Amino acid sequence: MTASTPTNSRRLRAEHLGSTMPPLMVAAERVAATVAQGVHGRRRVGPGETFWQFRQYSQGDTPNSIDWRQSAKSDRVYVREREWEAAQTVWLWCDQSPSMDYSSDKEFESKHDRAALLTLATAALLVRGGEYISLLGTDLSPSTGRTALLRLSSELSGQHSDSVPPDVDLPRYADILWISDFLNPLSEIEKRARALAAAGVKGTLVQILDPAEASLPFKGHVQFEGLEGETGHNVGRADSLVVPYVQRLQARQAALTELASRLGWTFMVHHTNNSAQTALLSIYQALAFRSGAQA
Amino acid sequence: MGFLGTIGFLSPALLAGLLGLPVLWWLLRMTPPPPRREIFPAVRLLAGLPQDEETPARTPWWLLALRLLVATLIIVGLAHPVSAPGSLLSNRDGSVIIIVDDGWASAPGWDDRLAAMDALLIETERRGRPVRLLTTAAREPGALQTPGELISARELRPIVRALRPKPWMTDRTETLKVLQQIDDPGSSEIFWVADGLEENSDGKSPVLNSSDFALELQKTGPVNVLRGSSSELAWTLNINTTPTSDTAAGSIAAGGLSFVIHRAEPSERIESSLVARDVEGRILDSKQFSFAAGADKAQVAIDLPNDIRNRIARVEVSDASSAAEVFLMDERWRRRSVGLVSGQNVDSDQPLLSSHYYLQKALEPVAITKTGEIDQLLDASISVMILTDVGRIIGRDRNQLKTWIDKGGVLVRFAGPKLAQSGDDFVPVRLRTGNRVLAGAMTWSTPLPLMPFEETSPFHGLPIPDDVLIRQQVLAEPSASLSDRTWARLEDGTPIVTAEKRGKGWLVLIHATANADWSDLPFSGLFVSMLERVINLAHGVTPVTEGTGELKALQHLDAFGRLQNPQGSARTLGPKGLVAPDRPPGYYGSINAQQALNLGPALNPPVAFSSLPASIEEQTLAQRPELDFKPFLLSAAMALVLVDLFISLLMRGFVPGLRPVIGRTRTGSAAGLLLLICAALLAGTSSVWAQETDDEFAMAASLDTRLAYIITGDPAVDTMSRAGLTALTDVIRNRTSVEGSPPLGIDPEIDELVFFPLIYWPVTADMARLSDQALAKVDGFMKSGGTILFDTRDQQYAGIGSSLGGSTPERARLQNLLRRLDVPPLVPIPQKHILTRAFYLMQTWPGRWSGGRVWVERHQGGINDGVSSLVIGGHDWAAAWATDANGVPLAAVVPEGRRQRELAYRFGVNLVMYALTGNYKADQVHVPALLERLGQ
Repeated sequence: MTASTPTNSRRLRAEHLGSTMPPLMVAAERVAATVAQGVHGRRRVGPGETFWQFRQYSQGDTPNSIDWRQSAKSDRVYVREREWEAAQTVWLWCDQSPSMDYSSDKEFESKHDRAALLTLATAALLVRGGEYISLLGTDLSPSTGRTALLRLSSELSGQHSDSVPPDVDLPRYADILWISDFLNPLSEIEKRARALAAAGVKGTLVQILDPAEASLPFKGHVQFEGLEGETGHNVGRADSLVVPYVQRLQARQAALTELASRLGWTFMVHHTNNSAQTALLSIYQALAFRSGAQA
Repeated sequence: MGFLGTIGFLSPALLAGLLGLPVLWWLLRMTPPPPRREIFPAVRLLAGLPQDEETPARTPWWLLALRLLVATLIIVGLAHPVSAPGSLLSNRDGSVIIIVDDGWASAPGWDDRLAAMDALLIETERRGRPVRLLTTAAREPGALQTPGELISARELRPIVRALRPKPWMTDRTETLKVLQQIDDPGSSEIFWVADGLEENSDGKSPVLNSSDFALELQKTGPVNVLRGSSSELAWTLNINTTPTSDTAAGSIAAGGLSFVIHRAEPSERIESSLVARDVEGRILDSKQFSFAAGADKAQVAIDLPNDIRNRIARVEVSDASSAAEVFLMDERWRRRSVGLVSGQNVDSDQPLLSSHYYLQKALEPVAITKTGEIDQLLDASISVMILTDVGRIIGRDRNQLKTWIDKGGVLVRFAGPKLAQSGDDFVPVRLRTGNRVLAGAMTWSTPLPLMPFEETSPFHGLPIPDDVLIRQQVLAEPSASLSDRTWARLEDGTPIVTAEKRGKGWLVLIHATANADWSDLPFSGLFVSMLERVINLAHGVTPVTEGTGELKALQHLDAFGRLQNPQGSARTLGPKGLVAPDRPPGYYGSINAQQALNLGPALNPPVAFSSLPASIEEQTLAQRPELDFKPFLLSAAMALVLVDLFISLLMRGFVPGLRPVIGRTRTGSAAGLLLLICAALLAGTSSVWAQETDDEFAMAASLDTRLAYIITGDPAVDTMSRAGLTALTDVIRNRTSVEGSPPLGIDPEIDELVFFPLIYWPVTADMARLSDQALAKVDGFMKSGGTILFDTRDQQYAGIGSSLGGSTPERARLQNLLRRLDVPPLVPIPQKHILTRAFYLMQTWPGRWSGGRVWVERHQGGINDGVSSLVIGGHDWAAAWATDANGVPLAAVVPEGRRQRELAYRFGVNLVMYALTGNYKADQVHVPALLERLGQ
């Protein structure tokens, strides 16, 4: 195994994190039209494992598609047909922008670490469920199995990227898991989300926040510096800003929730000082039991 | 005058800087500390939030106070505050007269005196009063005291700073006379920087008491006395043993040197020690002594073996601070230099029978002997002269010898045929011509033993062995004084040793020979003891003075007890002299015959000042320290600046560990710190490690017999050397009884060489130049019996038969090296050299190459057992010896094969045997002859 140690250990942690949960099969209302074989029956004949129907042999069928037992029961020759089972592909987006690279206290993981962990754990669960995964913004083609997981894990090793998923064409009815701190301008997020939703993509938004970002625990004269080249902000008394700041943050979260519900997506908030298990469970539920979806 | 002075400033103008403080305060308030920097990803959300207070936080008041304090400390510190001692001067005008005791007694605590005078002058300068300096000791030998000029204190300060105490006494009476000549305008104020000791009385003129002196001074003006603390009063050291030998002969044998130390203040118990040093200042002996509480005198005896005692050049109280605590020793205090003069010329033919041989053996433990003619010996300042059978002393020698004995020389004469035939008057008793033979062919009498020594004899108490018999002697004419002059008798009462005191010296006659011709005495231990007692009579002889009886000064003792070369006018010393300004203590005479003049004998036991009259102001120097606050204030300011820096960093969040920082950046600094600690630990342990390996090397090298080779730094050569010596060691183990261990490679720059009997030194052209240290090691190795085999490995290029000419770079390099070493003359191995027969008989010395010559030291007698310290050749022996682990040779030998390699091994065996056994093998050559002689 050639993966570097940090990514490797993160992957192991992620697998361990998901080990208590059953394999995750995306509750896909409509499976994205990929050729990948999977668990989602397409209710028509095609490659798959589940029996669909017997059909009379006709010219052009390969001899080894003949079901001999069935054919032996009668004079006709029958061909066994299976249901076309396709896999759903979940596109993962883990925000790797510099602003994720932050933790207010050495006790806490950085937001990026937590986001990557959740991404990997979800991916691990999906792979166990036979689904296909891919990381947006990379040339990782949708695939499944351990190899996919390993490649994903190495892609998450911390090269900085944009805050929002790149504008690529996703297959219709794909699923997207979008983990970010959602601290970039709201308009950017909204524009991208709408574009994706227009393509029929189902989304799950997970906001990862550091506790300091949730509560602004600073006092006195502080010069706040951003991580993405934002203009610094000089505050005479930081403690006087707590209430307005928290209000503003909540307003943003409300806006995101509203956006998500309008698009039929899910939005959830996770703080890095909370257990990753909780967040993973929420994501599991969001993906597996999407309201109104059929298995 | 209070002891606690006020605080003054040396540069008060700088205090004006304090006015700037309010401005600083205002500035500091206006520029608040920069904000704390915080990384915050959600900074976008903060933008545009309404803020309660637009004005930034102020500098906290305590920080402001801290910074103002720093500024104040710096300003005050730069103004240079000192705790000015209380004023010494009164407020009157008029001149100031400083009288300094600058005799020997001022040497302890002289710096304090200078400092006190300097402080006084500074104050005088400030007041603008003129000042005059008087010193109570003569400024120069022979110079009279002069009243100093009335000058400004500024001019006087350098003069005072250059003032040194003189190694002689003060003369305050003279000072008073000088003072009375002074007629300064206005009333003068007098400061007497006193040494605290009463002046010495020499018995001639009445001595001026310190309080009288002070009262006399008071006639000129008010008097302040500045003196050191009583613990700093000088001690005096004097010898208790008189140099002239007036004491009864019997009591001289004690032999020790006794010293007495006096102090002026008999207060509490003080322990110190007396140190005896030789000419080079090395300590020969150190004796503790203590002044008992209330005692002003302490005695110390230094009792050393004669040869060590004779090396004493100076005795001093440890940490001597004045010339009076140092006692210089000269020939008078030594027991030594016995001159031997012989009347026999034939002695040299049979040295073991000569009387000089007996005397030299007997005198070895007690004295240094010199042999020569009488006049030569007298010039060499001997204290005892022994004449063996010199018949008649003639000519100029006579007079010289007479003067010498009068001055304290001891002349010992042994009888003999010559003296028996023709005597002179250099004998204590008149002698009969001819001698008395007690056991001859023509006599009936038997040899006589000695009678026990009488109490008046210096030999009293020496045991007389039974087997000492006198067979022949010269006889004294009977006279009234004969019995008084007799120190030893035979059993029949005839004198065998007689002596007479002449002047300060002695004339001793042994009525027998100094060899065994006439008696058994020279065989016995008694002879040694008797000679020792006789030599103890001598206390050294002051060198014979010429002409005016004056001596040139060699070295002077300054007031602090340090020897200095004389400067200025030549000073002379009469035969009798006590220290005086024109006779400073030190050494006089010539290098060969020094005479010491000490301060101690010139001094009476020191007496401290009696209490001075109440009208005299007294101050102690030690209680007037001037405290300089500047460094304290500035360092306090510095410390506070550091505190401020730390606080600033803290407030800005730069102190790691105290404020959260971003995860990733931390690891780097932590790793760096860890690295630093590790490096420090490693650096700490490495020297210990080196030490251990040093010991390991020494153990490995010395516990087994090993050959060694010099590491040249050329890997090919070094491998070959190692393989060669290993193979040679194996060969030697197989063929001889030498059981060597594997060879060691050594670097002369680092390793010790002395452990090895033989070092193989392959010379390469690019060999590094040896440092002087390494050269010294190599030289020491060769001198201490080691052998080095230099191998230039270039025989094939140098050509057959070429000599040691520098025809190849290796040879040039070797010559370069040898040029820097002390190399004896070299010859090609001679035909009968031990190397040709140390184990194998051989005449050629092939290595990898054959032919050519091998060079050794020309045999120079028994040095290093005749083993040459160098063997030089160019045959590349190591390559011929070298084999791999399976015994397969590593290099081909040219031109022959096996035979040549075998010869190379044989050379190696011979060389190792030669280095290990020396000329033993050469002696073995004689074994057949010896056996034949023994009749076997």
